[in-house]
Amino acid sequence: MRKDKLTFNRIKRGRFSGYSDFAVVILVTILVIFGVVMVFSASYYKSINVAGTPFAFFTRQVIYAVIGFVIMAICARIPYKTYMRLSIPIIVISLLLLFAVLTPLGESVGGASRMIRLGPISIMPGEVAKIAVIIFTAAFLSTDSKIILSFKDGVLPLIILMGTFGGLIIAQPNLSTAVTVCGIIAGIMFIAGLKWRYVIGALIAGGTGILGIITLGDKIGGSHWKKRLTSFWDPFEDALGEGYQVVQSLLALGSGGLFGMGLGNSIQKTLYLPEPQNDFILAIIGEELGFVGIMALFIVYMLLIWRCFHICLNAPDYFGMLLAGGITIMLTLQVILNVAVVTSCMPPTGIALPFISYGGNSLWIFMGSMGMLLNISKKSDKENRR
Amino acid sequence: MSRISGKNKQRVLGAYLILMALFLVLIFKVAWIQIVRADEYREKAVAQQTSDVPIEAKRGNITDRNGKELASSATCYSLWVWPSQIKEAYKKDAKIDEVAEKLAVVLNMNSKKIKKNLTADQPLVRIAKGLEKETAEKIRKLDLTGFQLAENTKRFYPSGNFASQLLGSVNDDGVGRTGVESMYDEYLSGVAGRWIKNTDINGNDLSYGEDEYYQAEDGLNVVLTIDEILQHYAENAIAKGMRKTKAKKIMMLVLDVKTGDVLAMATNPGFDPNNATEPDSKPERIAFNKMSDKKQSEYLSKMWRNPIVSDVYEPGSTWKLLTTSAALESGAINMNTTFFCNGSYVVPGANGEVLHCLGNHGTQSISKAVGNSCNPAQMKMAVAMGKKTYMDFLDMFGITTTTGIDLEAESGAIIQSDIGPVELCTMAYGQGIAITPIQLATAVAAIGNDGVLMQPRVVKKLTNSKGETVKTYETKEVRKVLSTKTANEMKEIMEYVVEEGGGGEAKIAGYRIGGKTGTADKAENGEYRGNTYSSFIGMAPMDDPRFVCSVVVDSPQGVRYGGLIAAPIAKDFMENALPYLNIAPSYSKSENKNLSSKYAYVPKVSGKKMSKAIQILEECGLKYEIVPEATDDEDFTVVDQYPKKGKKIKKGGTVYLYRE
Repeated sequence: MRKDKLTFNRIKRGRFSGYSDFAVVILVTILVIFGVVMVFSASYYKSINVAGTPFAFFTRQVIYAVIGFVIMAICARIPYKTYMRLSIPIIVISLLLLFAVLTPLGESVGGASRMIRLGPISIMPGEVAKIAVIIFTAAFLSTDSKIILSFKDGVLPLIILMGTFGGLIIAQPNLSTAVTVCGIIAGIMFIAGLKWRYVIGALIAGGTGILGIITLGDKIGGSHWKKRLTSFWDPFEDALGEGYQVVQSLLALGSGGLFGMGLGNSIQKTLYLPEPQNDFILAIIGEELGFVGIMALFIVYMLLIWRCFHICLNAPDYFGMLLAGGITIMLTLQVILNVAVVTSCMPPTGIALPFISYGGNSLWIFMGSMGMLLNISKKSDKENRR
Repeated sequence: MSRISGKNKQRVLGAYLILMALFLVLIFKVAWIQIVRADEYREKAVAQQTSDVPIEAKRGNITDRNGKELASSATCYSLWVWPSQIKEAYKKDAKIDEVAEKLAVVLNMNSKKIKKNLTADQPLVRIAKGLEKETAEKIRKLDLTGFQLAENTKRFYPSGNFASQLLGSVNDDGVGRTGVESMYDEYLSGVAGRWIKNTDINGNDLSYGEDEYYQAEDGLNVVLTIDEILQHYAENAIAKGMRKTKAKKIMMLVLDVKTGDVLAMATNPGFDPNNATEPDSKPERIAFNKMSDKKQSEYLSKMWRNPIVSDVYEPGSTWKLLTTSAALESGAINMNTTFFCNGSYVVPGANGEVLHCLGNHGTQSISKAVGNSCNPAQMKMAVAMGKKTYMDFLDMFGITTTTGIDLEAESGAIIQSDIGPVELCTMAYGQGIAITPIQLATAVAAIGNDGVLMQPRVVKKLTNSKGETVKTYETKEVRKVLSTKTANEMKEIMEYVVEEGGGGEAKIAGYRIGGKTGTADKAENGEYRGNTYSSFIGMAPMDDPRFVCSVVVDSPQGVRYGGLIAAPIAKDFMENALPYLNIAPSYSKSENKNLSSKYAYVPKVSGKKMSKAIQILEECGLKYEIVPEATDDEDFTVVDQYPKKGKKIKKGGTVYLYRE
């Protein structure tokens, strides 16, 4: 791709620190290509059943990936400081999209209204919101590095931001994205230097909330939430109801064992797991490639995450650091949440596995944000060289 | 623009460490699932991913000794449903109702019952079984989702109510219930196969994954010693007897004296094994349907029972053959001994107790005494032998045990436990003892087999589906009970009984027939109510005996004497059986004169149309019978006939015409 060429050129030009960029590009490329292969393997049986051809999901994912590389290349060339200037319009547009999806403009799938269709492409405002809050929070906190220490000027506005975005996304409903969005904001606040008492206070508040739902769920009419929150503890208790997907996921992982059943040989993907190419694609990877395959994938993720944190640490300025930090936290948080759901460590929610799961929006957001990281890293090279 | 502080870098590293710690925990969790608990999950996965379809084995046929099918298995279909697929494919309740309605019409079933199955909380439910191919085709044409038609086998008995107690029947699962079907079930049933394969959630086969097919092993064919033709003659003879005597039940047993083979074993009323859970006759069926469940099941077990091996009766005078044989063999009497009868007998050592004879026979030779069925003569023989010798002979004849025939639920005799002089004397002429028909026939057959007792059997061999013999059951000599001399003397006596004595009704011109009649009061719930067992045991031909034919008539109405009731039934059978067994008649001169005008040669009718064949036979003065019985008036081709072309048979005799 173009980006590769750029990287190569830079290496040729002898820019030492280009090495960092190059690693990110390579790791992302590995993940995306692996994702396309796994989407094909996981989806072809379902594809035959719903579309009559094995290639329905595969072809689209290939197109998404190609577009994704273009987006990454473009983002890598946009000076990241541009986003600081555009942070207000970006957050407003994102907010409007979140409102729009709740109106009849939003397309309803399975009882949840999560996307807006614009001709051939569909936009998921929840995905857009993730990158929008990163840009906005980073820009907001970098106006003054002391602002985070003030409750009224720094913490409160961001809590309102969390409440507004979280609330709007839950209204879709899409709990997992809401949790991710709030987690990203909180993460950036943490990096920016949020006082420990707020950190501990937030942890206590969150813990009490969850405990409250579990213990009082039945009494306060939140039995549905309680069920969702507790079903992961023993998914087999309700294996045909709430626990169904997770049970099927565990059976897939267990079937795979240490070395897997071989690429293409998953049986759980033959309609046992309802959406094998989406949020539970890791289960199919585990079934086909085994624990060894999953470990290989995790190593790639960990290398990428380390490179991202590295860029964050070496960012040329405060905004760059917070932006890079937000992106890194988004990536890491989503990998962790996805793995946690698939392994039944938390209630099942719809969270895509970055770069791997089927879907354009998620892939583009991640590839675009990797482009942004590359740009930050390029700027930091220049700073360092100066 | 603010600057990056060291604190920020610490926080970044902090965030990194927290997230990596979480990641590490998850790696352990993945390892836990994929390594430690892998087997448990894999097992569960395999359980849901594989379908294990049993492949039914074809049940072996039961054939007569010549390979004629008496029971066979035909392919039929059963309909299965996956309720989960129904739910997915039809969703709405009204749609499912519609499907149930459609099936109800084709299957002739209640649609509510079908719907209950369609919505059952089970992965796979059977809706119907035993469906004909046409019904299966109709279901296929409905083109419904979520169903499967499985092929299996249905038991078919081509002759219907025929040797039914002997053959038995199978239950709904195709397992032998009674008779040969039950006794030889382990050979007939074969070994079911399995088809283990991976399927998707809807039960569709996958092109990869496990797919193992274990072929079913077909059951073996059981070849009986029964001769279908002789069985047919027997069934006809007792059916005629039933009409004539209005008896409760008539049993006929034909044994090959040389081998112990059961050639025919028939009891009327029987049942139709194709529909074994109902009586065959209409009035009985109406009464049966009104019974309580308990009564019905009692009725059925009685109907399925084979009384020839399972029930005892009082043999009456037919028993005298055994007493006389024992007396001759023991040397207590000889052929020159004479017996005096004045109508009664004072039992020695019984305080002057007197037992009576039905007649006043005067002085008689031994043959005459048996021919007259004289009771005092038998008592004298028993007294002369003494209790011990007499009981020893009963042991030798196999009366005190069972015959060991290869049929289930065989009973033994009921012999009084405390035998004093009076009991010995009554037993000598066949009262106060109860035996099974198979026991007496087996013992009498020894007389025809040079005194050697054979173990009776109904199964000759087992063959596989290719017709190769897998196992042969050898005939079994039990012991030599009588010397050749005694056996020959007994044959002489038996022939005398038919020629000159009480068995005259069994006489057949041109053949030397032997036998003995019997009439015994029937004990019902411990008292005699005026019903009798009228019986006859015959043997033919006496110069070289081939078979014994035992007839027991349970409670005939009107005339009761075995000689008048049972002997003609045996004669009816033997008249047909002797020519069939290729035993040539040799007529005395006086017989010959009567006969020449009475016989006809059988014309060839096989290969002809039925209507034409009937016409030809009528011209020759012969009757016909169609096998299996015609149910409609459709014309068809005769594929075989019996007797064959050129045979000489009596005018008015019957030619059996076999159709497809």
